Amino acid sequence: MQKKWNLQKGCVLALAVYAVLAVLFYAIAQEQLCTRTDDTDSVSAAASVGEILPGTVLEQQFAVQSDRLTGFSVLCGTFGRENTGTLDLSLYELEGQGGRSLIGSYSLDVSQMQENSWYDIPLDTPLGNAAGRSFLLKVSSADSALGNAVTLYYGNSVSTGRIELASEGWIPLYQNGQPVEGTLCLRTTGQTDLWFGRYYWYFAAGAGLLLGLYCWRLCAYEKKGKSCLGLRLIHAFTRYRFLIQQLVSRDFKTKYKRSVLGIVWSFLNPLLTMLVQYVVFSTLFKSNILNFSVYLLTGIVLFNFFSESCGMGINSILGNASLITKVYVPKYIYPVTRVLSSGINMLFSLVPLILVVLLTGTPVTPAILLLPFALACLIGFCTGMVLILSSMMVFFRDTQFLWSVLSMIWMYATPIFYPESIIPARFLVLYKLNPMYHFIRFARTVVMEGISPEPKAYLICLVFAVGAMVIGGLFFHKTQDKFVLHI
Amino acid sequence: MIEVKNVSMAFRMSQDRIQSIKEYLVALLKRKLKYKDFWALKDVSFQVHPGEVLGIIGRNGAGKSTILKVISGILKPTSGSVEVHGNIVPMLELGSGFDFDLTGRENIYLNGAILGYPRKFLDQKYDEIVAFSELGEFIEMPIRNYSSGMMMRLAFSIATVVNPEILIVDEILAVGDEAFQRKSRQRMLELMSGGTTVLFVSHSLDQIREMCDRVVWLDHGQIKMIGKAQEVCDAYQI
Repeated sequence: MQKKWNLQKGCVLALAVYAVLAVLFYAIAQEQLCTRTDDTDSVSAAASVGEILPGTVLEQQFAVQSDRLTGFSVLCGTFGRENTGTLDLSLYELEGQGGRSLIGSYSLDVSQMQENSWYDIPLDTPLGNAAGRSFLLKVSSADSALGNAVTLYYGNSVSTGRIELASEGWIPLYQNGQPVEGTLCLRTTGQTDLWFGRYYWYFAAGAGLLLGLYCWRLCAYEKKGKSCLGLRLIHAFTRYRFLIQQLVSRDFKTKYKRSVLGIVWSFLNPLLTMLVQYVVFSTLFKSNILNFSVYLLTGIVLFNFFSESCGMGINSILGNASLITKVYVPKYIYPVTRVLSSGINMLFSLVPLILVVLLTGTPVTPAILLLPFALACLIGFCTGMVLILSSMMVFFRDTQFLWSVLSMIWMYATPIFYPESIIPARFLVLYKLNPMYHFIRFARTVVMEGISPEPKAYLICLVFAVGAMVIGGLFFHKTQDKFVLHI
Repeated sequence: MIEVKNVSMAFRMSQDRIQSIKEYLVALLKRKLKYKDFWALKDVSFQVHPGEVLGIIGRNGAGKSTILKVISGILKPTSGSVEVHGNIVPMLELGSGFDFDLTGRENIYLNGAILGYPRKFLDQKYDEIVAFSELGEFIEMPIRNYSSGMMMRLAFSIATVVNPEILIVDEILAVGDEAFQRKSRQRMLELMSGGTTVLFVSHSLDQIREMCDRVVWLDHGQIKMIGKAQEVCDAYQI
């Protein structure tokens, strides 16, 4: 009786927690759930249009794919001197039969301009229903003087990473009515409504309903004494909780047992790694990532967890051979506890991350509460990996050597210390298949930008985590009976 | 309590154990992947009733340890099935879960957890375990500094603190110096006569005669005889 009541209590608790999380999540991530911000890329600047003097008219036509147009930016050049006057920009909407209607006029004060920098011009009111419509940007200057005027850039190729691709289908820039070999360096910012945000409450309610039904099924099965996967998991967990706890604490105690600093190493290690890489990559290789220390540390903390848990977990079956051949304990306990110990280690190394975030003055927003989602997915993914690796290791001892090479490749294939922008376009697909890339990107968006990632990012992380766990679980389950014969 | 039904256990023996992909591929290419099945158990069936002490005798390699491992769930039989009702405490080898960097106290909890004791139980019995092991203040020292006798005493004390429903014993364990040996033997006998179901493997026929209700005689993986302790032992001795 006691147990059944506990299960029901647990179910109610799970539902309550789910409801609170669903509401909290919406409160934090509402903006990103409902709309996506699209920043279009500009062409690479190849040449300038020359000084923009009274009488010069630049006309650039462009199309918008976002639902709303909220602003645009242009790349200005000053010829490295101080200039005077203003730059007049007018935005028109193109209508059929060559007609156009003025949306707004904006002027930029030239005297404050820096060489080769982008100037953002937000629209007074976001322009709705913009998708698929064409616009025309007209640039002129009424009060500039020769030798004292600024310029704009144009080009005809797009840079993705280190490769320049010819920009397909560009619309030429017209200078004084004549087309130029290129298109203006222009970026637009827009917003697109996401259907997920609109129907969020339906999704949340649907998932809640499923959860409730599943709980109900569990309780019904418990009553009838039938068994199903969920019940077995719950029972195994309650039964072996103490063992898991003991094994995790053993891992932890023995790790730092005879070191002087002990647990401080959990803080120090990622910090020192970051320091070394920071010095190397910010001085030797000039990297122009904003807030590089936080960028680096986020990647290091997450990837360290991955490589540590896999590196240690690969031996979790063989290392406990003496136990496995003597006492019956479900064998998955060993890899799972190994990952959990590394997970606790990762939680410790979040402390220096938070310290660095505070020290560098990165704004901390409620979005940081979404970080546990990325960490949970990462832990799930690593569990799956370790299940596979540790069982492969039993049959083929070569696995550990292959893995050490593979994990090195994996490290370089993940943007930890280099920016995503240097990834060549043709490899981008490969990167998108790398789960670590997604976990780290998720964490960085949350920590550095202080906003929630787009709904797709959640889905991707979840799919990788659940997928790895299912595959790992099945693989482990199929092979575990043969372990005893091979260790 | 325990029902062993037609259990067979085959070990696959290849000429040399293949442990790397290279070796595997080489063997595969040379078509040298020959296996020889060794049947450690062949069609073994018996039952153990609640509260019964069942002895298992046989020569070396007869499959005694294998059947114990199958019953305790460590090995999965090639065919047949084992049904067990109740929690098992296997006493196959003592102290296999010890971690040498941890103290005696930490090892009591770790080893206890591995044997499936709940935390509350260990909290209650902690003093009893320490008292029985006669370790005194050494309990707070890492056990890598223990002598082998101390280690065995601790392991024995942890393993025998329970009153399990099913106890699996591979030879009566007598560890430590003479005084402790007497004490531990006493403890084992207490445990075994205390109403628990016991599976007991021994080479000492005197012990078997003294302790067991029924005896299974295994020979080359098959049951040669099963019945009253006295009868089987007499037949075995001839």
